[in-house]
Amino acid sequence: MVTGRALVVAILGFLVLPAAVVAIAAFNDRALLSFPPQSLSLRWFIKAFSYRDFQAGFYNGLIVMLASSGIALVIGTAFAVALDRYRFAGRALIESLLLAPLVVPHFTIGLGFLILAAQLGAMRSFAVVVVCHVVLVLPFVLRSVYISLRNLDRRLELAAESLGARPARVLFTVTLPLLLPGLVSGWLFAAILSFNEFTASLFVTSQRTQTLPVAMYNYVREYADPTMAAMSLIFILVTALLLTLANACFGLGKVLNVDHGR
Amino acid sequence: MQRRPFFGLFVTPAAVTALVFTAALVAVLQYSVRKHVPGSLDVGGLTFDNFTAMWRPLYGRVFLDTLLLCLLTSAISLLLGYPLAYALVRARSAMMKSAILIIVVTPLFLGEVVRTYSWIVVLGNNGFVNSVLLKLGMIAAPVQLLFTVTGVTIALVHVTLPVVVVMLAAALAHIDPAYEKAAESLGAGPVRVFMTVTLPLSAPGIIAGFTTAFAWTFSAFATPQLVGGGKVNMISNLVYQLGFANFNFPFAASLSVAALALTFVSLWMLRFATRPFEKLGQH
Amino acid sequence: MSTMAAETTAVPPVAPQPSNADTAVRLDGVTKRFGNAVALHDAWIKVGRGEFMTLLGPSGCGKTTLLNLVAGFLTCDSGEIFIEGALVTDVPTSERDIGIIFQNYALFPHMTVAANIAYGLKTRGVARDEIARRVAEMLSLMKLTGLESRKPRELSGGQQQRVALARALVIRPKVLLMDEPFSALDKNLRASMQVEVKEIQRRLGVTTIFVTHDQSEALSLSDRIAVMSEGRIRQIDTPQRIYQQPADRFVASFIGEVAVLRARLESRDGEEATVAAGACRNTVAAAPLRELSPGAALDLFVRPEHLRLVAENEPAAAQGIVAAHVYQGDHIDVYVDAAAAATGRILVRVPGYEAVDRAPVGARVGIATTGINTVAFPPEG
Repeated sequence: MVTGRALVVAILGFLVLPAAVVAIAAFNDRALLSFPPQSLSLRWFIKAFSYRDFQAGFYNGLIVMLASSGIALVIGTAFAVALDRYRFAGRALIESLLLAPLVVPHFTIGLGFLILAAQLGAMRSFAVVVVCHVVLVLPFVLRSVYISLRNLDRRLELAAESLGARPARVLFTVTLPLLLPGLVSGWLFAAILSFNEFTASLFVTSQRTQTLPVAMYNYVREYADPTMAAMSLIFILVTALLLTLANACFGLGKVLNVDHGR
Repeated sequence: MQRRPFFGLFVTPAAVTALVFTAALVAVLQYSVRKHVPGSLDVGGLTFDNFTAMWRPLYGRVFLDTLLLCLLTSAISLLLGYPLAYALVRARSAMMKSAILIIVVTPLFLGEVVRTYSWIVVLGNNGFVNSVLLKLGMIAAPVQLLFTVTGVTIALVHVTLPVVVVMLAAALAHIDPAYEKAAESLGAGPVRVFMTVTLPLSAPGIIAGFTTAFAWTFSAFATPQLVGGGKVNMISNLVYQLGFANFNFPFAASLSVAALALTFVSLWMLRFATRPFEKLGQH
Repeated sequence: MSTMAAETTAVPPVAPQPSNADTAVRLDGVTKRFGNAVALHDAWIKVGRGEFMTLLGPSGCGKTTLLNLVAGFLTCDSGEIFIEGALVTDVPTSERDIGIIFQNYALFPHMTVAANIAYGLKTRGVARDEIARRVAEMLSLMKLTGLESRKPRELSGGQQQRVALARALVIRPKVLLMDEPFSALDKNLRASMQVEVKEIQRRLGVTTIFVTHDQSEALSLSDRIAVMSEGRIRQIDTPQRIYQQPADRFVASFIGEVAVLRARLESRDGEEATVAAGACRNTVAAAPLRELSPGAALDLFVRPEHLRLVAENEPAAAQGIVAAHVYQGDHIDVYVDAAAAATGRILVRVPGYEAVDRAPVGARVGIATTGINTVAFPPEG
């Protein structure tokens, strides 16, 4: 029992270690990494915020994130409902194609959209990045909404119907309100993943549409100062905060399906 | 229940997305059998040279390394992930559960760049691990961790561990604790209960976790690129280098096709090899 | 179990059928298949206006399918359904003006009690003050006043059921459909809710189709019962006639306890036939025995309260050995093994304790019929 607990703590430690180390490094006053830091300062945070490429990357990432997560939410929700309710030709085919980005290497997907964009003459447009991100985050929306749908009691919709509600009214007054936790968490997952996506983005973004992770990657390749540590720390904290909020609002355990079955 | 309100509205957008995704994959496939025109982004006529050019020890080595790294990473993730998933599902207090969940899930959403950079800070010659070991006097000179298979594997495990935990936990959560109690009541000790009840019943999660870890590792790019630093290469690095350093997109495409084929063959073989275990978990 | 007074009362010879003008719901030859399985086979049924009709049968008998067809949740493969004279076979649920109570009530968890009740009025575009008035009226009728702003999960099981009933009734449905509504309640609450629901149903005169597998619930609540098995309606009749004059072997053995004695057809005289079981003679309805000639073997179905224990040497329908006594408070159930004279154990219901003294476990006893409420069917197979 005690060894079991120690093991779990050690593994959790492994997961937390890089974040903790980055947090220390981010406040190091010197440009060269050293542990423990000789003196502390906030200068790398200031540099991170004022660095042009990071600023542009942040705005680009925001645009791509909002567009792709929004579109993926609508497409994913609609299709999850169809998957849950209807049998139709091509059902399995569309489902496996939409879930395929979970196993198809991101560099293949990125390369594919890059070639597609080149052929359409749209290499530098946001549209390519957004479409590529929609494809990448859709499986997560689909899964999250589908799980909520499975937990939805069909009889609630039947009761609404028996009370005279036509399909559209049932959808907007019963189905969607009850799916809300699944929708919000599905959207949140999609948004975070899109904002942090790197490999495929490296292929499909141009100088003009570069997202933040791509800008950060380019920075790491060129400079070794702790600016990146400061950026990373902000990323880690914001992501953890969003997930904690999500957990408090609708229980991540339920959304990720890791809670005990009822 | 035979009426299907909004059927077209629900399915069409998804079908279009699936079509666009297919088009992207077809584009890769199409480029993989085209001639490379040096100095141009346009491609030439049909050819299979790209695939025959792949049969060189240089590339064979990268394919083999990629496979081995995938297997190693998935296996380690499974070993480390199981105790964590178990603790997550069986944690008594809600606080504890939430804490474990947040720690596990946060890296899942962080993206490769931040995580990889963090590991450079941890593993570098002036990094955290070496500094600590030097201060403690356990080593005389920094140990080379960056640019080694060990370093890359550690960073890759950090990428795949969270998703493995989530998948294992999903499987464990759906095992009725009554089965374990029943086994206990029949005189089985904790180890026996685990080996004869819990482990077999969680087989679907183990398979799903391993498979996903395998695919994700295969897909990793920034980790081998930055932590491997050119010393440890995976197919993804090769594709990027060919595409963006040499602008040989046809060859990059054919490597991608080969990688995709390798992914699916590996996953299929995994499925095949694990089929007997999957039966165990059916309940 | 023995809620029906089992004395010979004058049972009308034919079950009352509503005339077409009084029919609220009518099924004409409705069939429903799921793949190759026939869930409902050629069902003909008429439910009178204001009638409480129960669909009774074991699980998988087709009763819920029938209910779902009336509700419009399923569509018929063949046949027609009429509600208040209008053909609704292809009318969607939302246009059928029905009320439905599910086993788990299906109250909208994201709406208050008042919003739940108002839902069906809103979909009908009823004016807002009219909605408020009718919701308030329902709340007081259902003794829910004061709970209007609660959410369903904050209510007890009985209160939830009342909200479900209020939500279904406030739209003044043409028919109220109830799918095992009491099975989620504990025993005491169930009994009081049954009384309450029956009272409200009678007061509002709402036509009700009620689905249950619980025969005592069916017997105590219904005006008429349709007994179903394997997708077929076996008998539609009043509770009394279902119990006393079951139409076939299935109905006889599904409703109440019954002993099956081996017997012989002695003679037939018009509507009636005389049947001999051991030394006992019984008069039964002749209709089910049409195919048999005198002397043929048959099975005699007798309710446990119409059997008597007699001494071993007295004339009896069967002889056997007492296997067990089960004390039931107001009576005692005596189980007798009589393999030669009956299929299965014979249950004899005796009123007092003296039976235990007269016939201890292991004693040989005789069992005599009293000649009351017996029915006979040809042997199985």
